[in-house]
Amino acid sequence: MMYIHKTAQISPQETIFHKDADTIKPGVNGKLLAKEPLYPFIPAGILRRMGKSVKMGVGAALTIIEKEELNGIIIGTANGGMNDCMKFLQQIVDYEEGMLSPGNFVQGVPNAIASQIGLLTHNKGYNNTHVHEGLAFENALMDAVMQLAENKNNSYLVGAVDEISDFYHNIEILKGNFNSDNILAKDFYATKQKGAIAGEGAAMFVVNNQQEGAIAKLTGIDTFNNTDPEYLRKRLLDFKTKYQEEAPIDLIISGENGDDRFDNYYSTMETTVGKDIPVVRFKHLCGEYSTAASYSLWLACQLLQNQEVPSHLLKSENHPKQINRILIYNTYFGVQQSIMLLEKGV
Amino acid sequence: MSKIFVTGIGAISAIGNNVEEQHKALMGGYYGITTVNNIDSKYASLFPFGEIKITDNQFIEILKEDNYKGLSRTTLLALHAFEEAIKNCQLTNEELSSADTALICATTIGGMSLINELYRNATLTDLDSKYLYSYDYTSVARYMQEKYKMNGIVNTINTACSSSANALIYGANLIKNGFAKRAIICGVDSLAKFTINGFNSLRILSSDICKPFDAERNGLNLGEASAVIILEKEEDCKDKKIYATLSGYYNANDAFHASALSENGDGPYLSMAGALVSAKIPATEIQFINAHGTGTENNDVVESKAMMRIFNTVPPFASTKSNTGHTLGAAGAIEAVFSILNIIHQEIYPALHFTKPIEDTGLNPVVIYKKLSIQNVMSNSFGFGGNCSSLIFSKP
Repeated sequence: MMYIHKTAQISPQETIFHKDADTIKPGVNGKLLAKEPLYPFIPAGILRRMGKSVKMGVGAALTIIEKEELNGIIIGTANGGMNDCMKFLQQIVDYEEGMLSPGNFVQGVPNAIASQIGLLTHNKGYNNTHVHEGLAFENALMDAVMQLAENKNNSYLVGAVDEISDFYHNIEILKGNFNSDNILAKDFYATKQKGAIAGEGAAMFVVNNQQEGAIAKLTGIDTFNNTDPEYLRKRLLDFKTKYQEEAPIDLIISGENGDDRFDNYYSTMETTVGKDIPVVRFKHLCGEYSTAASYSLWLACQLLQNQEVPSHLLKSENHPKQINRILIYNTYFGVQQSIMLLEKGV
Repeated sequence: MSKIFVTGIGAISAIGNNVEEQHKALMGGYYGITTVNNIDSKYASLFPFGEIKITDNQFIEILKEDNYKGLSRTTLLALHAFEEAIKNCQLTNEELSSADTALICATTIGGMSLINELYRNATLTDLDSKYLYSYDYTSVARYMQEKYKMNGIVNTINTACSSSANALIYGANLIKNGFAKRAIICGVDSLAKFTINGFNSLRILSSDICKPFDAERNGLNLGEASAVIILEKEEDCKDKKIYATLSGYYNANDAFHASALSENGDGPYLSMAGALVSAKIPATEIQFINAHGTGTENNDVVESKAMMRIFNTVPPFASTKSNTGHTLGAAGAIEAVFSILNIIHQEIYPALHFTKPIEDTGLNPVVIYKKLSIQNVMSNSFGFGGNCSSLIFSKP
C-alpha cells in the first residue's frame, strides 16, 4: 500500500525505553499531558498565537519535513483546536456576543493544523483534514494510500494530533468515557474500572511508494463502525484473507485502555488473530484519545526498527522472536474499530 | 478507469426543502436571505441570513425522529437531505448497510450548533444531558451510521468552506481504489451562534444582501443547508438513472494566510487547473462555472483573477451564494447539486444583486436565466486555511 520513511511524535513520554513501568509518567487527575518541546522550528511570533494542538501538530511535522519535497499534507484530528473553540465560546458568553477577537476562532478550526504546516513550508499541494473521531487518523492514512495510488512518485506528510481541552474533557467525563483518577503506569490495565485515562499528542509520518530506505510498509487497513464483537471477528477474518496471505504475524499491538467495558473486543481480537502471538499495549504511555492509533503506528515503526520490545509494553512474558509483521487493532470506546497491518521495510 | 456517476441527489437550503423546489427558485431568481426566526443570537436582527424556515421540532416531526435522542439541527438537516437522496437513488436497506457503502460527511459546525447546551455541560453547570453525544463534528455521521446500520467506511471532513468538495473527492477516490462500491456524500452546516460570532469577529458579514462579484460587494451572508450526493461506479449503474459524471477534481493549498486568499490566487488557480487535467479536457470545454463567489472583498477579486489566468475567455459564471447565502461546510455539496441541475436541465441560473463589475477584472456574471448546451460545469470551493478544491461535473 505505502512505505513509511520518517516518523516524529510528541506525546506524554520522553522515551519508550523504560526498564520497567515505575519510571513512566503516570496520569494525574485522569490526564496524561503531552511533554511539549520548545518548538525551535516555529517562528516565535507565530508560535505565540498557536493553540496546543496546532503547536504539537506543526512542531512534530517540521522536525521531519524540512528537507522533503512533499506533494501534500493530510491530517487526522477529531477535535483540532478544541481548546481554542472553547475559549471562543467563553468569549461569546462573557462578552454577550460583543466585540470578539477572531484569534481563537481561526486557531480553533481543525484544518488550522494542515494549513499552518502548508503555510510554513510553502506547500501548495494536496491538503486535507479528517475529523471522524476515533477513525480520523485511519481515514487520513487511507487518503494518503489513495493519493499515492494515483500519483506514484509523490510523497506526503500524513499524521494526527489531538489535545485535551479541560472544558471538553468534562463532557467526556459526563459520558463516562474518562475518569479523574491518578493511575500509575504499572496499574494502568490492572485497575478494572469504567472510563479511561485521557491522553494527547501528535504523530507524523512521511510516506511514499519508495521501498528503498523505508522503515515500514503499511500493507493493509480496514475501518468500520460496529459494536458487536462477533462482527469484529468476521472483519478480522476477512482482513486476513484479503491482506495477510499465509505470512505469520509476529506481534499484535492492542489498543486496550484499562476500561474493562471494552476488554471483550480485545480478547476477541487476540483469539481471532492468534492467541500465541505476543501482545504489546501502549495506552499507559499516551493515554486514550481519538487519534491514539497514530501513536500505535509510530510505536510499531520503532519496534520494527529496533527489533526489541521493552518489557513494560508486553502483556505477558511472551516475547517475539523477530519482528517482521505487526497487526494493530484499536477500538474507540467500542464504536469505531480499525485494523492495520505493517511490515518491516527493507 | 471507469467513470464515477451521480445516481442520487437530495438537498435542503433557504431556497427550498427539496431539489425540485430549489430548482424552481434558481430558475426564477429567488433568494432565501432574510431576517431570521430560529437563531438564538443578538445578530439575528442585525444581519440577514439564508435560513431554512423549519424549526427543529418541525424537523423531528417530519423525519419521525425521537426528540429524546438529542439531535442537533445540523443532524436534522443532514437526515432530511439524506432521505431524499436515498429515495431518489432507490437504495435498499441492504445496500445501505453493506460493507461497501461509504458515508462521507462534511461539516464545520457539527453539533457545536448546540452552543448553550455545550457550554452548560462543559462548565459542569448541567451534569446530565441528552446532548452529550451530539456536540462533536462526528455526531452527524455517527447518528446516520447507527440509524441506517452502515458497515462501510465512514468519515467526516472539515476543511472549512471546501469541506464538501473534499468529501466528494474522497468518496470518488474510495470507489476508484476499490474501498467502496458506492459513496454517499453528505455536506451540512446549520446556522449557529458560534459561526455567526466567528465570521462577525472577522468583519466579513454583510448587513445587506450579498452581491457576489459586484464592485460594491461588502461581505457575505451566512446560510444553512444540507445536500447529499450518491456516487457509484459506471459498471454498477446498468439500470439506474444517471444524473451526471464526476469527471474531474483537484485539491490544492493557497499557502498564504489563515483567513484570506493570496492576491494572485495561486490556490484557486491550481485547483481549477488541476481539475481540468483530471477531467482530461481543455479550459474551452467548460461551459459554466458555479463560482465560490462569497461576496467578500477578498474572495471575489482573487477568484476572478484566477479564472482569468486559466480561461482566455472566462465562460459564463455565477455564484448561487446570492440565493442561499454561504453555507460553509455544505457549500460544496449544495453547489454540486446546483451544477448537476445545470447539466440535467441544460440551463444556467442568474446571479442576483449584481450591478457593476469589479474594476480590475471587468468580469460580469450571468444575470439572466437561459438555456445553454452544457457538457461540463466547474464548481469551486475555497476555504480558510487556503484549502481550495474544484470539481467538474459532466453530462453522462
